[in-house]
Amino acid sequence: MRRDRTDAIFSALADPTRRQVIRALSEQGPATATSLAANLPVTRQAVTKHLGTLADAGLVTATRRGREKLYQVSPQPLTDAVSWMAELGARWDERLAALREHVVSTRRRR
Amino acid sequence: MASIEREVTIPVPPEDVWPLMIDADQVSAWFGADVEIDPRPGGRATFRWADGTERAAMVEDVEPERRLAFRWLPFQSTTDGDIVIMPPARVVITLHPVTGGTRVRVVEELTVNRWPRVETRGAGSLLAAIEA
Repeated sequence: MRRDRTDAIFSALADPTRRQVIRALSEQGPATATSLAANLPVTRQAVTKHLGTLADAGLVTATRRGREKLYQVSPQPLTDAVSWMAELGARWDERLAALREHVVSTRRRR
Repeated sequence: MASIEREVTIPVPPEDVWPLMIDADQVSAWFGADVEIDPRPGGRATFRWADGTERAAMVEDVEPERRLAFRWLPFQSTTDGDIVIMPPARVVITLHPVTGGTRVRVVEELTVNRWPRVETRGAGSLLAAIEA
């Protein structure tokens, strides 16, 4: 995955309201800023701004629907972020297993 | 903060594990890379993997037999000699004496931004990762 994009993703998801927006979108499916704002404790303008940030990070995509835009979650970047974490964890699993094996085999040789 | 946490128990006391954390040859024996390290605050560490990638780190904190912290620099060189951006991260390795040996705990956390803690011990779902 592209690591530079990971930064944008983490930064976009750093905000709790943006995480609420993502969650609402993933639960209720494609929605407009107006319908999202109806269920969130923020204004439509604020939701629109957050959606813009999420779109810049590639986390949501927008399609025009009349006078408004319909937003939906774009799962790939989220998968990338989570897989980055998983990869990091797997690498440390390997290293710590090798560390243990190294100590055990060194002791056996003594 | 996005972080992963791993631990392993090693059947030797912390004083025997410590050289494996700060001695370049000994670190290289398990890290999966050829390692150079100057184990004092501000010291440089360099990790060279067999595939040709190379990444540097700066030692942040050293407490003999207890704790080693370093920060990955936010880029690495690739096999082709390109420089690619990496998320900046901090690694904290702590040694805890336990019955029959040492518990080695590693936390690697991204230092770019605030991000909810992600539990990676199991297969964390997407929403669990966002929510945690």
